[in-house]
Amino acid sequence: MTITVYDINRIRPPKVPDGFKDDGQDPHFVAAPCQVACPVGTDAPSYIAYIWEDKPSEAFEAITATNPFSSICGRVCDAPCEPACRRADSDGPLAIRNLKRFVMDQLGKDHHLPPVEVTRPETVAVVGGGPAGLTAAQDLAEAGFEVHVYEMSDRLGGMMVWGIPAFRLPPGIIEEDMDRMLKHCPGIKVHLNCGLDHGVTLDELKKRHDAVLLTIGAWWGKPMNVPGEDSPRMVDGVSFLREVNGGARPEMPETVLIIGGGDVAMDACRSAKRLPGCKHVKIIYRRGPNEIPARKEELKGAIEEGIEVVYNTQPVGVVEVGNRFALRCVETTLGEPDEDGRRRPVNVKGSERDIDCGMVIMAVGQKAESAELYTAGLMDWDRIKTDWDTMRTGDPKVFAAGDGAFGGSTIVMAMMHGHRAAYYVQAHLDGIVDPLPYRTPYRTRRVPIAQDIHWEVFRRIEQEFHGLGDNPVAFPEIESTYDRKSARDEAARCYRCDAETGSFDYNVRTREDIFVMARARPEDAMLHREVLRKRLDLHHTPYDENHKPALEDLVFLPANLSRLVIDPYRDACRVSCAIADQIELDLPFLVGGFDDAPVELRRALGAALAQKGSAYAGRIPLGETRAPWLQIISATEDTPSADAAAHIIAFREGFKPVEMVRQPGTLRGLAVKTADLEQAIPFALDAEFDLLLLDATPGITRPWPELSGSPDFTVIRDTLRILRRMNREEDIDLIYFGGIRTGTDGAKLVGLGAKVSMVSVAMALALGGRIEDGKVLFRGDRTGEERIDAAASLLSALSAEASIMARCTGKTDVQNIEPEDLRAITMATSQATGIQLPGKRQIIASAAE
Amino acid sequence: MATIDLSLTPVRKANELIRQYGAGGEDVQILNPDARHHIGVGLTHPIKVTVRGSAGYFCAGLCDGPTFEIERNVGWGLADNMLNGTVIVNGNASAIPGVAVRGAEVIVRGNVGSRAGQVMKEGTLLCAGNANFMAGYMMYGGRMIILGNSGAQLGQDMTGGAIYVGGKINDLGTDAMLTDLPADELQELMEFLDKYKVSFNGTFRKVVNAGKKLKYARSEPRVRVIPFFEASGDNDYWNAKVQEDIHVKAQIGRYRIRGYGTSRALPHLSDLAFKRDLSAIPADPDVVGKVNMKTEIGGRSGANPIKLSMPVMIAPMSYGALSKSAKLAMAIASRLSDISENTGEGGMSDEQREEANQLIYQCLAGRLGWNIHDMQRANGLEIYISQGAKPGLGGQLMAKKVTPEIAKIRGIPPGIDLRSPSRHPDVLGADDLVIKVEEFREATGYKTPVSVKLGAGRVRDDIKIAYKDGFDFVELDGMQGSTGAAGNEVLEYVGIPTLAAIQEAMDALKEVGGDKDMPIVLMGGIKDGADAAKAIALGARAVAVGTSAIIAGGCIACLQCHVGQCVVGIATQDPEHEKRYNIQAEAENTHRYLESLRWQMAAIAHAHGYGDIHDMSRGDLVALTPEAAEITGLPYAPEYRNRTESLLVAS
Repeated sequence: MTITVYDINRIRPPKVPDGFKDDGQDPHFVAAPCQVACPVGTDAPSYIAYIWEDKPSEAFEAITATNPFSSICGRVCDAPCEPACRRADSDGPLAIRNLKRFVMDQLGKDHHLPPVEVTRPETVAVVGGGPAGLTAAQDLAEAGFEVHVYEMSDRLGGMMVWGIPAFRLPPGIIEEDMDRMLKHCPGIKVHLNCGLDHGVTLDELKKRHDAVLLTIGAWWGKPMNVPGEDSPRMVDGVSFLREVNGGARPEMPETVLIIGGGDVAMDACRSAKRLPGCKHVKIIYRRGPNEIPARKEELKGAIEEGIEVVYNTQPVGVVEVGNRFALRCVETTLGEPDEDGRRRPVNVKGSERDIDCGMVIMAVGQKAESAELYTAGLMDWDRIKTDWDTMRTGDPKVFAAGDGAFGGSTIVMAMMHGHRAAYYVQAHLDGIVDPLPYRTPYRTRRVPIAQDIHWEVFRRIEQEFHGLGDNPVAFPEIESTYDRKSARDEAARCYRCDAETGSFDYNVRTREDIFVMARARPEDAMLHREVLRKRLDLHHTPYDENHKPALEDLVFLPANLSRLVIDPYRDACRVSCAIADQIELDLPFLVGGFDDAPVELRRALGAALAQKGSAYAGRIPLGETRAPWLQIISATEDTPSADAAAHIIAFREGFKPVEMVRQPGTLRGLAVKTADLEQAIPFALDAEFDLLLLDATPGITRPWPELSGSPDFTVIRDTLRILRRMNREEDIDLIYFGGIRTGTDGAKLVGLGAKVSMVSVAMALALGGRIEDGKVLFRGDRTGEERIDAAASLLSALSAEASIMARCTGKTDVQNIEPEDLRAITMATSQATGIQLPGKRQIIASAAE
Repeated sequence: MATIDLSLTPVRKANELIRQYGAGGEDVQILNPDARHHIGVGLTHPIKVTVRGSAGYFCAGLCDGPTFEIERNVGWGLADNMLNGTVIVNGNASAIPGVAVRGAEVIVRGNVGSRAGQVMKEGTLLCAGNANFMAGYMMYGGRMIILGNSGAQLGQDMTGGAIYVGGKINDLGTDAMLTDLPADELQELMEFLDKYKVSFNGTFRKVVNAGKKLKYARSEPRVRVIPFFEASGDNDYWNAKVQEDIHVKAQIGRYRIRGYGTSRALPHLSDLAFKRDLSAIPADPDVVGKVNMKTEIGGRSGANPIKLSMPVMIAPMSYGALSKSAKLAMAIASRLSDISENTGEGGMSDEQREEANQLIYQCLAGRLGWNIHDMQRANGLEIYISQGAKPGLGGQLMAKKVTPEIAKIRGIPPGIDLRSPSRHPDVLGADDLVIKVEEFREATGYKTPVSVKLGAGRVRDDIKIAYKDGFDFVELDGMQGSTGAAGNEVLEYVGIPTLAAIQEAMDALKEVGGDKDMPIVLMGGIKDGADAAKAIALGARAVAVGTSAIIAGGCIACLQCHVGQCVVGIATQDPEHEKRYNIQAEAENTHRYLESLRWQMAAIAHAHGYGDIHDMSRGDLVALTPEAAEITGLPYAPEYRNRTESLLVAS
């Protein structure tokens, strides 16, 4: 079965039953290619991201969620995820497998998932303790069933124990995973030295349990069907590995040939090479280097250990004359593709030659055997007859999975069979006659992207390779795991194909849809249709009827042809202004709201404001600074100060007419909110006040009032409406306060009619503040100089942003930005600001509509 | 010597004749020039042209090789973009003489107007009299010799080259400074004066770039972007993205820069739905053959139109922003799908020309890489006024990407943070633009369509000007358009959405009766066949895809294009990174994406019962949001939201 990463199922995953742990429907998630290529859907992007974040326990959870043999897989998985990795096409795939090993090694063997209890009365028998059977056992145990595993050998693990040599999978690793699984699932009961044909019968199991799952493996080597293969010098690969992995270290002849190019062949040749007496090992493979199925890394390891690969060569017989033993081979060329799409090797006539050797190991495939199942009619030649769509055998109570049912494959495929079988066994036990088809779950832990600035340049880091080692016959481990830095650097390389992008238009779903379109064959109308249907369904916008007004939803109209372009990078643009012709500012921003801030901050702020030519508004002055102080006077509590450049009266409970004597050289102002305007504006004009501070927050006298949420923009809209109605727009200056985050916001406020905007929380953040519990908290984590620099830098940036907006509209003075330069792109914002929409009607949305 | 009398022969005919004489190696004299515009434009042979009188705008413009002598005065734009050759003016020259020259020697014996030598790259401009203000404005290279006095802001924002002044210097422009004049350089100057028999007895002073504005003082800390939804829609007002933005600006003291387009959700084509239920569209492999998709664009004034197998173009993207490999892949993909490719700002490469069947050549204010030969081998010309991603601003290419090779093709110094000028030196308003368009037509024998690219702003007004200025088509770019680098605020908040842009354009064209006459190519966030079909239903003649085509070719949308270390080798000039990009494979991926787009468009049109994609109309659409309804005037029909999804669930 081939896995296609770029098919419709990845971008539009099929439905799954309720309760299935899957995030396929999350609009901000598409399973990454590596996750889809993994038969058990391992959430590799999340565990990789957790490694970068130094969160090994979280990484462990992501790794083991669908993989009970993570320590084993961290070393020997054939890792189909890696060729699928998108970075494989640029500078090499992420070392996903090595990173898994790093996590497992780092946490050690005692770390396990919390235990799950038995909650169901039914029990299940699993015959065969290999990866398929045990994976199913774990799933069923997690679902609450008691599971009895019958294993014919003396230990759990199946081919993981008997098929993989210790130099790749050292002793203890398998036990580690088994212990973890049994600690996690106390409901799994293990019966060793007990299996079909070995002390228990199928009928007994069916009587004892409510369902039986056969995961008997494919333990026996397939014959090659060439004359002479029954010679004692011809041995089968799985048997050879079983003997060696059982602890034997047989004396080998000088030259050993391995026939086959799969993983068994790789393990067999590398084992032979390490055994006493063996000098030369050659792999005989019937196709070419591009076709050899062994994992590239294994093949590379073998070659580095001195093993020769003879390609395009097919054995046709055995030559045994006296002491001479040789394998007779012919050369092959590649012919037409066969049914599984691989090109068939064709023998070249007259190319026979004999390759001398002392022993031949045949690794050309495995088969299952069971006399009892054969008698029961459940076998189909060398496999258990099993329906892939239900994992059922001919017996309604008996299910099958793994190599024994579907032929030799990898550990991770066997685990996938285990999950699949468990799903159908559970459906059977739940009485669901026709369950939704099983699919691999795609989960995400929604881990943020690694913020490593070198992610683009880091090269793939390999584990240290030791090869045969000093004492090959002891089978020392060939590689050692990463150190922490290497692991984090490798993790930083991840593209994070699973994660949402920074762009709404090119969000993760759209990007992946485009990737699929870019890999659809032009004639694949089915795929085109499915992508189109998906694209047509994608109405996903935050702009529904309930959208709130926002400054973000105002845009500027750029200069083009009807208004002349200026050169925004170069042409001068004035940013300075004066409040009521008196308080001169070098930029259209002032800062306020630091009355309760620590003195170090106030001092730094004062220095930065003086440096940048801005001003401060607050109830108490900042102290030693040349920057003008606009005193906010709480109508009932404060007295006007002679040091202030302006006196601005604020009301806690709404506007009331007040007396305020004009001090020579000091401006007079009122801080007002939307509800105050109809009363306050005529009052301010009558009393010849100089300025209005338009408060779009819940109250300027409260601490950090901007933190309570979106500002009330109607305050500026209504102020302008009233002033225009009175035809007195030019008679009073407007300072706006509430939610200014960028210089662009400030430029928009100028367009709406304000002269200057007051910044508070944004400046607090620049000064190192952190928002917590509705307050801004500061720490002694930077010097005064650093704070001055940060505050001055923010002011520069705000000023630069405001001026670039003005320049884009073709203006050479920020104060010349007009409502006409703006458009609202949502109804709510149009309504709240009085700015028209672009397009057909160009209306100003009103509340009545 | 041949003679052409402009009182008898129109300039267009005269230029044809001059080119014929040029091909035959025969010199020409022009009688009765009477300050007519475009005399001698587009000449690529080394003959001598003598103008017996005064010439108007763009005399000797867009030439390579000839020698011109003008007996009296010239209008503005003398020797515009001239590569090799010589121009001698015996009288005065108006504004911008020697604009964008790339090697020619331009001698004005009298005075010169303002902005002499603006954006010049190479060659010599000699003014024997006085120069008006801003001489050497934004010059990138070459030398300017002013024997008399220079006006205000001499060398304003010059990047490279040198200005030698013999008289008084009124004042120096921003980022210009005086420097020593080495003896050998003086010797060269005097030799040059001798060559043209110009005498000079005074002392030269030399002005060069001061290097204070070429690179940003503090580099922006690199971070990978926060997902868009963290700060889009109704979100926490002081969300993580807002905070990150403030923290970064508190470090660098200026606006931030990044790649891609708007990150926020805007009203867009996805807020429209087809009225017809398309959930049952069959998987018809032959549907492409059942709907006519062929589209011709640009024949409005008799030029050879761009011929497209479907109403789709590759949007302009520069070699510079993108690697050469990525540009080549786009060219190959455009050929495989039989549509057009566009050079963008960075000039045309031979390989690109070879691979693309239909290639549009983009002319920007900096005239980077601009030249007559590439104009003449282009299938279309495009005057860039602005782009959707950063309307009102020129291109921005960070120093890391201004490699020696890029610098060479653009004619600029390597290693600068390039901020391209946004205002054409010779186009200050709609009237100048008409004359500029005519110059291009003269240079290409009226065979090549001339288009204009507009970032969407006051589209309703701008499009009428474009129509009156006689453009063959308009490339209209909504604010969702992407770029390799721009200020974040400009990306997010300048311009109007693509949806509003096409609506205003069509309304404006109807008002002036041009809706059937001047085609609009819509771009800015076109992602799939549904977007394209909706754009066409709203009145666009074609769409252009940029970002989508790049994604099809392997871009992962990390928005870090400006950094120059593109992880997949697309937006980079670093050979180590470019190596990661497989041209052939990505060209094929992009081609397949385009074919999928084709299938989707055809399937949509066919499902509507149309035999031609251009039969799609507004009547086929409804609006899913109140904003989309107001912007387009289409009926508001929220019941169409997720209609197919609900049908699927029901079934």
